[in-house]
Amino acid sequence: MENKRLPVATSLLLSALSVAAALGLWQFLATSGTVAPELLASPAQVLNALEEILRDGYRGTTLTHNAAVTLGRCLLGFGLAVVAGIPLGLLMGLQPRAGAALGDIVQFLRPLPPLSYMILLILWFGTGDGSKVALLFLTALPIIASAAMAGVRLVPRARILVARSLGASAPQVVLHVVLPSALPSIFTGLRIALAAAFSTVVAAELLAATDGLGWMVLSASRFLRSDVILLGILILGLSGMALSWALLLAERRLVHWHGRG
Amino acid sequence: MDAAEPARLWRWRAGSVAVLAAAWVGATASGLVPSVFLPSPGDLWDAAADMVTEGYKDRPLLDHIGLSLLRVFTGFGAGALLGTALGLLMGWRGWIDALFAPFIEFLRPLPQLAYLLLLIIWLGIGEAPKIVLLFLAALPVAAVAARDGVRRTSLARLAAARTLGASEWQLFRHVVLPSALPDILIGARLALGIVYGTLIAAEIIAGSTGLGWMIVDAGRYLRSDQVFVGVLIIGLMGVALDRLLVLAERRIVHWAGR
Amino acid sequence: MTHPIPRRVALGAALGLGALALARPHVARAAAPPINIGFFTETKPTIIVKAQGLLEKATGQTVNWTEYGSGAEINAAIVAGGADIGFGSGSSPVAAAISQNLPVWLVGLVDNIGPAEELTVRTAANIHTVADLKGHKIATPFGSTSHFRLLGLLKLNGLTQRDVTVIDLRGDAIVAAWTRGDIDGAYIWAPAKSKLLASGGSVFRTWDKLDAAGYVIADTIVARAGFAEQQPQAVVALLRVYGQALDFYRSKPEEAVQVVAKATGVSAEVAAADLKEYDFISLHDQLTPEWLGTPGKPGRFAEVLHRTAQFLAEQKSIKSAGPLSLYQKAIRTEFLKQALA
Repeated sequence: MENKRLPVATSLLLSALSVAAALGLWQFLATSGTVAPELLASPAQVLNALEEILRDGYRGTTLTHNAAVTLGRCLLGFGLAVVAGIPLGLLMGLQPRAGAALGDIVQFLRPLPPLSYMILLILWFGTGDGSKVALLFLTALPIIASAAMAGVRLVPRARILVARSLGASAPQVVLHVVLPSALPSIFTGLRIALAAAFSTVVAAELLAATDGLGWMVLSASRFLRSDVILLGILILGLSGMALSWALLLAERRLVHWHGRG
Repeated sequence: MDAAEPARLWRWRAGSVAVLAAAWVGATASGLVPSVFLPSPGDLWDAAADMVTEGYKDRPLLDHIGLSLLRVFTGFGAGALLGTALGLLMGWRGWIDALFAPFIEFLRPLPQLAYLLLLIIWLGIGEAPKIVLLFLAALPVAAVAARDGVRRTSLARLAAARTLGASEWQLFRHVVLPSALPDILIGARLALGIVYGTLIAAEIIAGSTGLGWMIVDAGRYLRSDQVFVGVLIIGLMGVALDRLLVLAERRIVHWAGR
Repeated sequence: MTHPIPRRVALGAALGLGALALARPHVARAAAPPINIGFFTETKPTIIVKAQGLLEKATGQTVNWTEYGSGAEINAAIVAGGADIGFGSGSSPVAAAISQNLPVWLVGLVDNIGPAEELTVRTAANIHTVADLKGHKIATPFGSTSHFRLLGLLKLNGLTQRDVTVIDLRGDAIVAAWTRGDIDGAYIWAPAKSKLLASGGSVFRTWDKLDAAGYVIADTIVARAGFAEQQPQAVVALLRVYGQALDFYRSKPEEAVQVVAKATGVSAEVAAADLKEYDFISLHDQLTPEWLGTPGKPGRFAEVLHRTAQFLAEQKSIKSAGPLSLYQKAIRTEFLKQALA
C-alpha cells in the first residue's frame, strides 16, 4: 500500500504532536482540579518525584538499585531459560521420543499463569531472589522451548540430508543447519518470552519483594503517592520498550546474515 | 528426522508421566517431602473432592470460576475488539498509525500489574479496575497484530482489485480484511493468554474473589493441597480457553472462505 | 535417521537444572549466622527492639529484619526457612501453623489484644446494632486476628457472609477503600484504625463481648523449631531485650513513645494512644499458669490456641484442630525462664 504510508518526517511529527497533546491533557486534568491531587500527580510533580528520588532515594533504596534489581532478576531468569530452552526445544524437535516424553510438561506449563504457582515457589524457596528467578525461568522456558521445537520443523529436510552426505557430524548439523534455520522461529519465541518475563518480574515484586521497581510502585501505592507510582510506570514502560528493541536489534544482527532459502 | 511413529511415541509420553507420578508418590508417601511442600495424591484428591462438593469456604467453586471467567471475557472481548478495529485503521491509514502508535508501543511492553494499583486508586476495589486492566492488556496486542496483518496484504492483489474499479470500502472488506485475518487471530490468541495471566495475577495481588484470590487465601493457611488444586484448575482453564479460541478461529477462517 | 543427543543439549539442560538448584537459598556457614526476624511496623515496644538495635548489641550477630504484612506470611517464611522468628505473629495464624504440625514454637507473648483491634464503622452509615451491619461491606485482612474476631462476631449473632460482605484487604488498602467510600466498616488495628476514626469513623464496641465468649486474641513471639534448637541463646537474647524494651516503655513512656512514633511514621500522640490500648504482658506474668505456664506445665494459653484452631476448622480454613496437647507441646517456656534468670 505504497500510497498509504506517510513520509517518515510527517509521521514522526504527527506522533510527536499526539504525545504532546496527551501530555497537555494530563497536565490539565491534574492541575485544573477536575481530579483530586492525590489521585493524579501532574507531569511536573512526577519530574519532581524523579529528582527527589535521585537525590534522596526512595525509602532507603536508590532508583538505580531498584531498576538494576528488577532488570537483573528478569534477565537472569530469561537468560537461564534461553540457555536451557533452546537446546531443550531443539532436542524435542529432533528426537521425537524426547518430544513425546517432555512435550506434556512443556505444554502444561505454558498456559499456566506464572503468578499462580509463585505462591508454591515462595513456600519452597522463600521470598528472596531465588523464588523469583525460578519463576521467571519457568515462565520463559516453555515458550522458548516450544519456539525452538517449532523452528526445527521448518528446517528443509533437503538441507540436512545434503549436510549429512557431505560428512557433517550430528553436532555440526545442529549447529550449522538446524539452528540457523530455526532462528526466526526461536526469536519470535524469545520476544514473547522476554515480554512475559518482564511482566512477571514486576508482578512477583508486587507480591513478595523488598526492593525493585515493582516493589517501589507497590510501596508508593500504600502511601497514595501517585507521583511515584506514575514515575515507576513510566520507567517500567520505557524499560520494556528498551528491552524489546534490544532483542529486535539482536535478531536483525543474528538472522540477517544467514541467507534464507 | 524420523517419520512420526505414533505407537512408539505414545509409550514415551506415558512413560514420562508414569515416572513423574512415581516420583511424586514416592516423595510424599515416604515422608521425604513434608506435605506442606508437596501434598500426596491422596491429599489432593481429598481437597479437590471437598472443594468441588462443598465449595471454597462459603462459596461454591463455580462462583469463583465464573467470576474469573466473566472478567476474562469482558476484558478480552472489549480489548480485542477495539484493539483489532484500531489496528485495522492504523494499518490502513498512515496518519492514524502515526497518531496512536506511540501509545500502543508504550502500552504493549508495559507490565500490566504495574498500573493495577493506580487503577484501584482511581476506580476502587470492585470489578472496574480489573476489567479496565484486562482491556488495556488486550488492546495493544490486538492492535499491533491487526496493523501488521493489514500491512502484509499483497500489493499485487490490491493493485488488481483497484484496476477492477473497487472502492476503498470494497478493497478493505474483500482484500485487506481476509488477508489480515490470520494475523488478527494469532493476535487474539496471544491477547487471550496475556489477559488470562493478567487476571489471575490481579486477583492474587488485589482480589477478594475469583480463582487467583482463592489460591492466595488457601496459601495463607498453608493449605498447599488446596493451592495445588487451585493451580491445576487455573492451568486446565487456561488450556480450555486456548482451545476454545482455536475452535473459534477455525470457524471464522472457514466462514471467511479460505 | 536418529541423532545421538548433541552435547550442547545435555550441557544446556544441565545448566538449566543447575541454575534452578542454585536458586535455593544458601545455608549460612559463617561462624555467627545471621538472625532472620519477621516483624510488623506497629506501634508496640517490639519496634523499639528494632529501632535501637538492641538485639544486634546483645548478640553481636547480624539481624535481618524483614517486614511482613501478616502472621500468615511469616508462617510461610518460617516453613521455607527464610524467617527464624515471628516477632508479633497473631494467635490466629499461629494456631493455624501449629494445627498443621509446622515447626513453630511459641516462645513468648507480646500482648493481649483486647480493644486494640476493633470494628470501626462509618458514622454516617448509622450502624448501632450488629444486625445493622447487614448489607454493608466490612473489610479485614483475611487470616488475621481481626478476621478471627469479625467472623466470631458474625457467628455469635447468627449472620453469614451473605448478610454482611466481608472483604479481604490489608491495612493500607483499607484506608484507601474507606477514603473512596468503597467500604462502610473495617475490623483492623493501628495505624489504619486511627486513620479511619479520624475520617468519619466511630468505634463499634465488640472486643469485650468477644473476649468473654472465648474469642481471645493475642500477639506472640514464635520461633522456627530448627533455629531455636541451633541457636537457643539467640532466642533467649531476643526475649531479654524485648523485656528491656517493655521496661523502657513502662519507666520512661514519653521517650519510648518518641522512638515508636519515629519508627512507625506516626505522630507521638497517635503512637501514645495506640500503645495504651494494648495489654502488654510482662515476661514475668507470661510464666504464670494464666498465660504460658512453666516448662513442663503449659498454661491456659494453650487452650486459647486450641479454641482458635477449632474455630478455624469450623470455618474450613484449616483441616482440623487436633488435640489440646498439640498446642501445649508447642509452647516452649524454657527460653523465657532463662531470659529472666
